[in-house]
Amino acid sequence: MTGVFPFIVRRLLAAIPVIFLVTVATFYLGRYAPGDPITARTQGKASPETVARLKHQLHLDDNVAVQYVRYMGEVLRGDFGTSQRHVNQSVSSIIFPKMWISLQENLYPFFLTFLIGMPIGIYLALRRGHWQDPAVTTVLLVLTAIPVVILIPTLQVLFAAKWKLLPVSGWHGIFSRNIVLPTVVLTVPGLAGIARLMRISMVQVMDDDFVRTARAKGLQDRIVIMRHIVRNALLPMTTAIVGSLFFLFAGSFFVETLFGIPGIGAESIATIGARDYDEIMAITIVSTVAFVIANMAVDIAYTFIDPRIRLITQ
Amino acid sequence: MSNKLLAGLAGAVGVLVIGIIVLAVAIVASSGGSSSGSKNTAKLSAAGNSTPGAKGSANTNTNSGRAPSSNIKGGELRVPGDDPLTLDPALAFDTTSAEYIVEIFGGLVQLDKNLKIIPDIAKDLPTVSPDGKAYTFKLRDDVVFQNSNRKVTAQDFKYSMERAASQDTGSSTADQYLGDIVGAKDMIRGKASSISGIKVIDDQTLEIDIDAPKSYFLSKMTYPTAFVVDKTQIDQDKRNWTRHPNGTGPFKLKEWKIGESLTLVPNDRYHLGAPPLGQITFDIAGGSALTQYENGEIDISGVGINDIERIRDKNEPLNKEYVSKPGLSTFYIGFNTKQAPFDDPKVRRAFGEAIDKQQLVDVILKDVVPAANGILPPGMPGYNKDVKGIPFDANDAKQLLQQSKYAGKLPPITFTTSGQGANVGPVDEAILQMWKDNLGVTVEVQQVETATFFSDVKKGAYQFWDAGWAADYPDPENFLDLNFYSQSNGNDAKYSNPQVDTLLGQARTEQDATKRYQDYQQAEQMILDDAPWIPLFYEQDNLLVKPYVKGFDIVGMIIPIYRYVSIQK
Repeated sequence: MTGVFPFIVRRLLAAIPVIFLVTVATFYLGRYAPGDPITARTQGKASPETVARLKHQLHLDDNVAVQYVRYMGEVLRGDFGTSQRHVNQSVSSIIFPKMWISLQENLYPFFLTFLIGMPIGIYLALRRGHWQDPAVTTVLLVLTAIPVVILIPTLQVLFAAKWKLLPVSGWHGIFSRNIVLPTVVLTVPGLAGIARLMRISMVQVMDDDFVRTARAKGLQDRIVIMRHIVRNALLPMTTAIVGSLFFLFAGSFFVETLFGIPGIGAESIATIGARDYDEIMAITIVSTVAFVIANMAVDIAYTFIDPRIRLITQ
Repeated sequence: MSNKLLAGLAGAVGVLVIGIIVLAVAIVASSGGSSSGSKNTAKLSAAGNSTPGAKGSANTNTNSGRAPSSNIKGGELRVPGDDPLTLDPALAFDTTSAEYIVEIFGGLVQLDKNLKIIPDIAKDLPTVSPDGKAYTFKLRDDVVFQNSNRKVTAQDFKYSMERAASQDTGSSTADQYLGDIVGAKDMIRGKASSISGIKVIDDQTLEIDIDAPKSYFLSKMTYPTAFVVDKTQIDQDKRNWTRHPNGTGPFKLKEWKIGESLTLVPNDRYHLGAPPLGQITFDIAGGSALTQYENGEIDISGVGINDIERIRDKNEPLNKEYVSKPGLSTFYIGFNTKQAPFDDPKVRRAFGEAIDKQQLVDVILKDVVPAANGILPPGMPGYNKDVKGIPFDANDAKQLLQQSKYAGKLPPITFTTSGQGANVGPVDEAILQMWKDNLGVTVEVQQVETATFFSDVKKGAYQFWDAGWAADYPDPENFLDLNFYSQSNGNDAKYSNPQVDTLLGQARTEQDATKRYQDYQQAEQMILDDAPWIPLFYEQDNLLVKPYVKGFDIVGMIIPIYRYVSIQK
């Protein structure tokens, strides 16, 4: 365990240049793209003088590097800036409630993808070589391949319009019937991936020496499976679980827009269209930090699971 | 190995799950409830390709929606809505925010259902000095802020308008709506810390001096920028006061769950009479409004292009609940009159006469909106139903093109429309085809993101484009002066006609209303003859209203309408 803490510190330090590069690139690209928050907001109704004045008040005519330093300084003090689209509201008061909604939206799919995908994967590994393996895999892949913009209206037409079982859209929290269709849409594409990952990881170890040794010792097949194969296959599965934990708050634009869920996915696209610089930066920063932490967490999980992966302390 | 593995795995996942929960709690704790919305509804209808039509569509829906609460005295009105972008009257620039703001806040004057200016917090319409430049308002003495019961005085108005003009507030509308007041422009530009033209004579008397006898000034006072806000509340909480706004309007904000619903309750101390309704619930989470209406989950719904034929059919039971009235917007094609080939009015008229507007309306738009003849829409004061528009005449169009200076040598022409998705709408497609068929001209199309579209238009980057213009206040000055006066900032067509300029200048300060409208009508005719714009359609509001909802009329502009509404079951 001694290697873990310095490891975390080293990784955090290494993350700083990553975050810096991503934020600088986003900041500059945003500023140099045509348009700006005031122009986007006033849409020609305000005089050029008003637009110029408001842009000046937002320091948009300063040197871009100066603007960057100023903005990042505010971020480090906990202030993500002010939105221009939701006029004069603090960016944190906009993005965090929406991330919370996206997190709720992703909660059931997160559990279901693994709870359903893993057993399917185990089943496929056990049935490898038989017809069920390619058949089920094909079905799962077809489901994954359906573009979400087609899947959603299809489900809406069937379940809401024709059979009148579920609402078309709307968001009333995770305990209402509105959550059913979005959950289906968000779970199905992930199933194929998790199932195949589980299957491959199991198949890889099924033929390993130590398994044959255990079998030779005469252990029952079921015990062999449960104790050894599945456990060893959990390494990549843990990677998947841990990796996706930190993206639970990231919403899918299509799902949110077509189902009317006021989450961060739909908001991200709208904010880019409105050139809301502060909000774009805030979302970028939060996502980058989440990505860095997710990768770090996966690495830490690895070291617990497989001591053969040593943490270099020197 | 196996046990340590399991323990390690459990430990790692446990720590990370706890981390997630902590993160989630932190997110919730920092959120604090009502923030703002997710949709950007631009005020200027950047109509582009979208066919006019509200939230109705063909999907049916068995929403888990509720029946109205029957135990609310006065009844509950349920209507579809969107999240507002702001509830600060000084900052509102879009129609969605304005819809709520006019109910929660108020100003010196407001518009009634006939779009006439009536007194709101002022006791009567103002007395105007003989030179037309000084407006004196006597305020009512029974107007209080909703939550604090503090009486509204003339000082509150001076504060509110100066706040709107102040650089700290960052309003983009102050220039247009308060700019006529003496000293306002100085404050807006940061050269003064107060507006000299707003004078508090005493607690109940306010005098506003304007820079010229502009007859449309009072109209501008009906717009949110001129509304009164509570200084005490704002001083206490500069950032978040709009979450529980202390207004003076007929309704108070009870609750706003972003993305879900917004609830208004009546202000029983409203000075123009407590509204009869018990509660208004705006359903933001949505679904198909028409289906919700048919299921009895909402009481008013828009009718979109997909359903309009069914609803208009006299045999359809819903037809009895269908109401339709024009809105004060015009959708048009605009030309850059300083760029080839549209610097030649013959070419402009040729392109205009090649469009069969009636066919577009009949076939593609299914009569959802009416074809436009003139620039001013019906319902706008000064509207002239006999104005000579640009008729459909393919032969004349070809001839005009031949007579123009570009005959036989037209430069490449590009039509620009706004929006995203690489998909030009059916209306634009049809128009492009009409130019091909009737003029023999092939026009390229480009689509530009809305964020930059309007500023590019202003810069003169496009040869021609399509857009919509919605009335900000019911006065023809808003349509004709802002768009066609040669020195106006809003003159995107860069149109310049000295005779039109003269007429517009006269009408600006003409005190006699009849003569004023005559000037505007003359100007409109001249403008149409020169064709810097080709008006295509007017807005039409098509709604379904439940029979037990009384007093709801389509007014064509945003006014505080809900105080006239009652539910009679």
